[in-house]
Parts: sequence; structure tokens; C-alpha cells
Amino acid sequence: MAAVAVHQFAQCITCHAWSPDHSMVAFCPNNNEVHIYKLVNDKWEKVHVLQKHDQIVSGIDWSGKSNRIVSVSHDRNSYVWNREGPEWVPTLVILRLNRAALCVRWSPKENKFAVGSGAKTVCVCYYEQENNWWVSKVIRKKHDSSVTSVAWHPNNILLATTSTDGKCRVFSTFIKGVDTRESKTGSSSDPKFGEQIVQLDLSSSWAFGVKWSPSGNTLAYVGHNSMIYFVDDIGPSPLAQNVAFRNLPLRDVLFVSEKMVIGVGFDCNPMVFAADKSGLWSFIRFLGERKESLSGPKSGSQFSEAFGKLYGQAKHGLSNDTVEPSKIQGAVHDNCINCIALLNKKGSQTKRFSTSGMDGKVVIWDLGNQQDLKEYL
Amino acid sequence: MMAGAEKFVEADNAEAIITRIEHKSRKIESLLKQNKPVEALKTALEGSSHMIRDERCKSANWIVVHRALMAIKDVEGMFSSLDPEYLYRGLSTGDRPTCDQCLRIHEKLTERAGLGCILRSLADTVNTV
Repeated sequence: MAAVAVHQFAQCITCHAWSPDHSMVAFCPNNNEVHIYKLVNDKWEKVHVLQKHDQIVSGIDWSGKSNRIVSVSHDRNSYVWNREGPEWVPTLVILRLNRAALCVRWSPKENKFAVGSGAKTVCVCYYEQENNWWVSKVIRKKHDSSVTSVAWHPNNILLATTSTDGKCRVFSTFIKGVDTRESKTGSSSDPKFGEQIVQLDLSSSWAFGVKWSPSGNTLAYVGHNSMIYFVDDIGPSPLAQNVAFRNLPLRDVLFVSEKMVIGVGFDCNPMVFAADKSGLWSFIRFLGERKESLSGPKSGSQFSEAFGKLYGQAKHGLSNDTVEPSKIQGAVHDNCINCIALLNKKGSQTKRFSTSGMDGKVVIWDLGNQQDLKEYL
Repeated sequence: MMAGAEKFVEADNAEAIITRIEHKSRKIESLLKQNKPVEALKTALEGSSHMIRDERCKSANWIVVHRALMAIKDVEGMFSSLDPEYLYRGLSTGDRPTCDQCLRIHEKLTERAGLGCILRSLADTVNTV
């Protein structure tokens, strides 16, 4: 069983992020707050509630080295939260948006973060030491619709974005004073801030969930037309692979290695995609157990399963601050999975990741015991 | 990577296409008389209908495809490479026998191709029939 832990935190979770040591998880329970839970003696306890936003928090990211949380919301604001003693202290970052912020990601060096918005713009924020505040630089051109997802290349400069205009774009976010120039190539070849490196027009429908592979050589993103796109050689002539699959569309993806990608979405079950030796990507299988088809003869057990869920819901009331880890049943998520995060322990070989969804659950998956997938890791 | 440079079949005029469709129609009528509905449907689907932009040509093509579609009695034996776009056009007519037939085929198509196939045809607003 690939799913090793299931936790029902809320009725619906918008997004989630883990603390650097994975002992705490921050998520938005589909309202204007960020809840932080800590695992204490095998039970999850609510330790902080960050209340500053006026509307739903659409994106949360927790930096691994500097231990800062950044949150963005439909209220067009973003806050950087710093840990000072027992408290989380917010710093408002003025994004100058006139539409909702939809997604946020810290850069690999954690000196910048990028925000995608419904205003068809991407804000790249960096810290100005002299004035002790975060400055936002906006990429205004190119996007024809909302920016749904952003992803940083390992070089801390290139940023990939997906949009509901169906395209995936890569920009340079080079900021003087924050990023160091690569002097060997000469200053003329370094792209300016906001310069578009490449535009990928592979999908005829909304694009979501872009991620770079660990080395930065491959880009993956999904389209709402049940397709996933893998692109190599980002530059003037990229090599793209369109993989169509039988099932419902995906919302987010994660590279667990150079050759394996996990996709999550409306099928409520993580999908494994892998590249063979020649670099050809294809769908391998689902990770969790598939739901029984309705036409099967086991309608009796389905009724009792539904009844059990209702009964189980009554126990985990929203006012409850402690959540018991629940037993793992057959189909793990029962609603759309919209967020996936990497959970590798430093120095450990095991590949773990977590998913959260509209069913309010956070599920932790471990690929260690999946024998048939070992060759791709 | 799509460069977007599609070659339109009616580079010259729509009349040439209409003539081609009429030619197809005669072939289909004769195949149907010989009780070969599957062959007829294959013939009807020939030619890249996605490239046609002119509405009259699309309608003319649809009439021919519709004729062959309705003649299919054994939906099971039918090959499943029928473009779902035609099924949706059929369903949008609201005509009872057409909708019945299209729904029957749609069920089989979904079994074989999965939901992703439906989503791709719904999401595609460019290549319509």
C-alpha cells in the first residue's frame, strides 16, 4: 500500500505546505486562515492559526532553510510570516494586484518568491535589506488569462508559469542586486527581468500544475483536456511530448526523480508517469487502489462504507483541535486532489510525498515498497 | 510543438469541397444499398474534416456522416475510431432517433476510450465538425 497515513483535517483543503523538518503542516481549510498542525505523540494538534487575510488563502509555501511561510489570498495580498519565539509574525507584501492571487512559490535560494494572479500577471518579490521590506516586481506582459501555477528552475532565475490561456511560459526573473550574473557568458546574453524565454502552446484548454525536474532539464505541466506535457531542451526549439490518458484531468504534478512524475487531480488517485530509457514518457499506473465500479455486485458494502464515512465525520468535528490518525481504507481520497508536495527526509533514500484535496484530507505516500517503480527512482 | 501553421484544405474555394462531399455521398448510398454500413461510415469519415472552416461545408459533411451513422445497427461491431465530435453534433440536434443512436455509440466509445477522450473533444474549440 503506497498510502502510509491519512489525516482528515477539515472539510476541504485549498493547499498545504510542510515545515523544514516535516513535523508541522500548514494548510488552508477553505477559509481565510492558515492552520498549522504539529504531530505530537502520534496525534495531530492545532498549534497556530494565522489570521490576516480577508478571503480564501489560495497558496502557501514554507521555505526549507529560512523557515518562513508565505501566504497569498484572493484578497490580493500576500504575507511573509516569520517565526519570532512562539509566535508567527506577519509582514505584508504589497503586490499591487487588482485581482486575486492564485499561487505562490519560494525560489530555490529563498531570496525571492513568485505569485501568480488572476490579473494575468506574475509578481516576483524580493527582500530589500536597506528598507527592511519586500518589494514586488511585476511581469505584466504575455499572459492572456489567469496564472494558475508557478515553478522555479534550480538556477533561481528561470520561472515557468501556466495559465488558463492554455500556455506554459518560461521567464527570466533576474534582479540586479539579488541575483548574481554568470560572467562567463557575458552580460549581453543574460536575459532581463520579465523577458520571455519560451512559450509553449501545446494545450487547447486551461493549463495547470507546472514543475521542473530536479536537474531543471525537463518541464512537466497538465492541461484540462486530460493531457500531460513533458518538455525537454527549453529554448528556441524545445522537445515536447504530449501524453493523453483515459481518465479525468489532473490539477498538479510532482517530479519524484528525473524519470518519474506523479500527477494528481479529479480521479482522486495519484497517477504515475515515467520515462523509459529512450526518454519516452507514458502512464504507468495508479498509485492507490481504484474505486469499485457501481455496476458491481457489492452494493451492500458500498452502503455500509458510505454510512461509515458519515459516522466517521461526526467524530471529527471541526471544533475539535486534535485529529486522530484514521485507518487507511481502499480508495484514499474521495474528492479532487489539488495539491501535491515532496516530503523527502534529508539523507534518506525513501521517496515520500503528500497530497491534499477537496475532501479535507492530507495523505502521505511512500514509494519505497512499490517494487515495479524502483527502476525509475 | 504546434507552430500553428495549419494547411487549410479549402485554400481555393468551398465549392471544390462540396463537390467532393457529394461524390462521397454517392459512394455511401451505394455501400448502404449493399448492406455495408460500417464501410459507409468509414467512407463518410474520410477526408480531414477538422481542417474545414466553412460552415456550409461542415454541414454538408455532417449530413453525409449522419446518414451513415444512422444506418449502423450493430453498435458493438463498429470500430471505435469515430470522432466524438460527431456524436456531440448528433446529440445537439435533439432529434430522437439521432440522439438514441449517438448515445448508444457514446456509451461504447467511453467504455473503450475512457473519460479523457471525452474531455479532449469538449476542450477542443478549434477543431470542430
